[in-house]
Parts: sequence; C-alpha cells; structure tokens
Amino acid sequence: MASTAAARTAAGAAKVVKPILSRDLDEAKRRVRELYRAWYREVPNTVSLFQLDITTRQGRDKVREMFDRNRHVTDPRVIDMLVIKGKMELQETIHIWKQKTHVMRYFHENEEPRATDFLSKFYKGHDP
Amino acid sequence: MAARVLQQCVRSLGRPSLRLCPVNLALRAAVAPAVPVHRPFSSAADSRRTRWLGQSRISSVGLLCRQYGDLPPLTLETIKDRVLYVLKLYDKINPEKLQVTSHFMKDLGLDSLDQVEIIMAMEDEFGFEIPDAEAEKLMTPEEIVQYIADKKDVYE
Repeated sequence: MASTAAARTAAGAAKVVKPILSRDLDEAKRRVRELYRAWYREVPNTVSLFQLDITTRQGRDKVREMFDRNRHVTDPRVIDMLVIKGKMELQETIHIWKQKTHVMRYFHENEEPRATDFLSKFYKGHDP
Repeated sequence: MAARVLQQCVRSLGRPSLRLCPVNLALRAAVAPAVPVHRPFSSAADSRRTRWLGQSRISSVGLLCRQYGDLPPLTLETIKDRVLYVLKLYDKINPEKLQVTSHFMKDLGLDSLDQVEIIMAMEDEFGFEIPDAEAEKLMTPEEIVQYIADKKDVYE
C-alpha cells in the first residue's frame, strides 16, 4: 500500500498494478506479433479445413483488420487480455471446435449495416 | 540402403531384357567419389524404372558410392538477390522505391505487422525459423541479409 502510494506520487499518477502476462509494453507487443504470426500461418489451413468460400488473401486481410481494430490500445494488461482471447479463438479454429458458420461470422455477410442518419434510424425505430 | 534393395528387386524383375554394360562399371570404379553417369538408354524398352534405377549398380564391384543432394552454397550476393526478389513480390512495397538500405517503417511506410509478414516470407524463402526477439530488430533489407549471413555462416 505504501509502496504503491510512493510509486504513484513518484511516477505522477502512473499506477503500479499486477501484470497479467507481460511486464511492459514491449513484451506485450512481442506477444501480439507471435499471435499474428500464428494466425497468418493458420489461415490457409483454416480455409481448406472448413472449406470456406474465401481466398487466403481475404482471410489474411480479415485477420489484419481484427488486429487493426485494437491498434490504439496502450495498456499492457488490456493487450494481454486481447492476446489471450485471440489465442483462444486460434485454438478453437485449429482444433475445429468451431464450425464454418462461426468462422464466417467474422465476415458479416448477411448483416445489414447500422443506420447512421436520423431518418433511417427513425424508420427503423432506433432512438436518435 | 532402401534404394539398393529396390534396385536389386527391379533388376531381378527386368533381368531378361536389361543388358548390363561392364564398361560403365569399370569407369565408375576408377572415379572414387562416383558422379552418377546417365547410361545411354539400353535396349530394354519396357521398363523405364530399370533405366533410372539401374544407373547406379555397384554390387559386383563392391565399391560404395553415395550421392547426396544439397542446395548450391549461399553467397552474400545470392542472399541479397533473393531478399530483394521476395520484397518486390510483396504487394505493399513499391518496387521502384525499394533499395537495400530502405527502412521499412520510415522509407517504405509499412507498420509492425507488415514487418512481421516480411520476416515470415524470409523464413519461408530460406527455410529456417527467425525468433521474434531478433526479428523485431530487422528493419532494412541490409540487416536481413546480414542476419541470414550470420545464421548461415556466409562470409566473404
């Protein structure tokens, strides 16, 4: 308690918290890169095992898109949590615990895009 | 070992039609590390197997000749050519702007995940794993060439 208070005052409102997996940002980034490598190498196997109707390139672009969504995160604990979730997804995909529909859910094929302007939202019944 | 057994089996199959030329055998016995000599196609018209399997008959002489396969030796020039070739094939890189010293992030405008993809392409090209701790430091083609030369013991 006293040590964290001291660290807090010393670092100027930077809290010292217990890390999940990695101690600093570099280690977290290294984990992200390892996960990206694993996914990159897994995509062709996924496309052939699940008999998906996408090309390998589309699959890899989708992986890149999912990684880019969390590009802005800087907290190592959040990054670790996201890496753990990504690893779980990877494990489920490798062992074919998922099915084709679960993998294709990433591609949002049959979903309608959400309305943004007022009138479309009004017609659909959303609050403005 | 298995190849020789296979040869003998095949030879016993095709024996009536296969004519062994003892001339070739003497030639091969003379040359110590024997280079495989493609015999001219013998009159055995039926089995092509015997032609290419029977080319390294050795049993009657008793001299062992082993043939190993390997890639041509790497030089710094060939490594550099291959690295630049792979980089030119990558679609996010403009081939005109690519130099040996061009930095991936500063000059070519790639990001860290692109750099990971490039290193993976290098792993596939040269056939050995590059661990991530060292891969994150390789930021120019020059550094990649140096790293591969270090790992593969290539020096001028």
